[in-house]
Formats: sequence, C-alpha cells, structure tokens
Amino acid sequence: MKTKLLSVRFAGGLVAVGAVLAFAGCASNVNTYERAESQATPNYIADKRVITDNTLAGLIRVVSINQSTVSGNLLKIQATVENLRNSTRNVNYKFEWIDQDGMALDSANETWKTLVMQGRESTTISTVAVSPRAVDFKLKFRE
Amino acid sequence: MKQITSSKIIGLLAVGAMLTFSGCETATETRTVDAKGPQAINTAAINSQDWANAADQLINSLLSGGALNNAPRTPAILAVDRVINNTQMMVDTDLLIKKIRVALTNTGKIAITNTMGLGERAVVASEAAELDEMQSGKKAKILVPDYTLYAKLIQQTDKNGKIAQNTYSFQMSLVAVKSGLTVWEEEKQIAKQTRGPGTVGW
Repeated sequence: MKTKLLSVRFAGGLVAVGAVLAFAGCASNVNTYERAESQATPNYIADKRVITDNTLAGLIRVVSINQSTVSGNLLKIQATVENLRNSTRNVNYKFEWIDQDGMALDSANETWKTLVMQGRESTTISTVAVSPRAVDFKLKFRE
Repeated sequence: MKQITSSKIIGLLAVGAMLTFSGCETATETRTVDAKGPQAINTAAINSQDWANAADQLINSLLSGGALNNAPRTPAILAVDRVINNTQMMVDTDLLIKKIRVALTNTGKIAITNTMGLGERAVVASEAAELDEMQSGKKAKILVPDYTLYAKLIQQTDKNGKIAQNTYSFQMSLVAVKSGLTVWEEEKQIAKQTRGPGTVGW
C-alpha cells in the first residue's frame, strides 16, 4: 500500500516538473518599443471580415489594413497582424486582387506565403498589385 | 469473469490493429495541389512556393522603391543580364526570372527587349526581322535598353549537430544604362532547416 502511494507521488511529481519545463521552454514573447506619438499618417481602410475558422481567428488577429500607391498607379496594401498567443506560430496568408469590374486578377506571384510570428508579436505583411487595373483586394489566412 | 472480459478486450484490440494496418496498404495515389501553396512538398532545396515567394518579394521591393518613377520613357526598355547560380543545385533560373518578367510586363512600366542579354529571342523572330528588313529595305531600329537587370542566387549551408540549415539568397540589381548606376538593389533570403533522424523538437 505504502509502495503504491509512493509511486503515485513520484509520477505526479514527474508530471509537474515536465509541465514546468515544457511551459518555460515555450516562452518566446516579443517586447516592442516605439515612438509615443507616431509621425506616420497611414491611410487606414475599413475592412469586412468573414470568419470561417474560429480557432484561427483566436490565434492571430488583423489589427489594421492601410493602403498607398507606389510607382505612380500601383496599389500597395499592408496589414498589421498580431499573434494572440504566447508561442511562436506559423500561419499562411495570401493576397488576391480584383479589378474595377469585380474580376479577379491572376498574378503568378500572389501565392500562399508562410508567416512565422513570435509570441505576442505584431508584424506587417504587404503586397503590391502588379497591374494598375487592381482596385480591390482580399487577404486570406489559413493554418 | 474478470479474466474473460480482459481477453475479450485484448481480442478486440488485436482485430482493430489488424484492420488499421491492413488499411494502410494502398496503391500509389496522385493528387493535384496548388504548386505555390502550403501543400507543395517542402524540401531542403528551393521548392515551387519558395521561387514564387522570392519573386514576389523582389517585385514588391522594386515597385515600392520608386526606381521606375524616373524612367526616361514608358514603358522603359529592360534587358535581362546574367543570372548567376552559385547554389549547389542545377536549377533553371527562369523559375525566378520568368516570374519577374511577367510581373514587370504586367505593370505596363517595363517592356523587355529580346535582342540582347538573356532575352527570349526565338529563331523565328530573328528570321522575321531579317525578312522585314529585306522587304522594306530599311534597317530595323533596335531600341537601346534603359535598364539592365542582374541577378545572383547564393546558397549557404550551416550545420549544428543533426540540424542543417540552407539559406538561399536571391540578389537582384537594376542598372540604368546611361549612367551605369545601380538604381535599385535587393536581397531576399529564404532559410530552411532540416532535422536529421533521431532529433527531438526544434
């Protein structure tokens, strides 16, 4: 009886130590510092969100989306993305472009890309439309 | 009674295991995947997704940098210069350059000349130009490029125990012909780590 009790205690101790080690090893959060009053004046746009994967939406969050024009008439989109968890996370994202008539613009370079984010990190992803006909965009995420 | 129940459970587990493992033996299957998507097979080499990502990052940088804002004409004429492959792989550098060419042409800001550099001048095009010269009696006027594009691929391999890392650098430069100055340069890197067998965790 005494031996059984000791075994249970030993196993419980092992599990506790393992849990502590596991969680300590996962800590890779990012601390960020920036100018208190930003000098930039980004052109933020209102976005519409369609969530079909609630788990993914709980892992990463699109904080904001802003746009500008580069090389004269090419649309550039930048999204600020935040990792809501305390561990490093890989997600895939893809931009798609749409022209004035609502037609999708095929681009060989707009593909699924892997984004590696550290714990609680905020970062930006961006793309430039290679066609001046692009007026709208879609940003997709998947695990 | 207890012994009978245990033997029944063991029997059920054995049958389940047999069914599971016999089910694994399937014929060779092929499925179509997005060549540039996350389902593309990831290897230590540059896969289809990597080529597309590298091309996209380089194009984004070139267009965002504003180097083409001061082009002497629209579309500006571009000649594709050498593409040096300093990796250990035998790859067709068109896997990168073609994507760059397509994107730049689509912008309407660049027209790529096929009369010099790594242009894609086909034999038929050359013959057609000669025929035109013969029939019209006029020498064809070849446009002098405004820019040349130069690229280099480099591979660096690092090892730490059973983990190997291959870092691929994609370097690209745009040179203005008249001044000889580099008006845009970029280097993008893709790093891939491969674990050897027997290693636990990253």
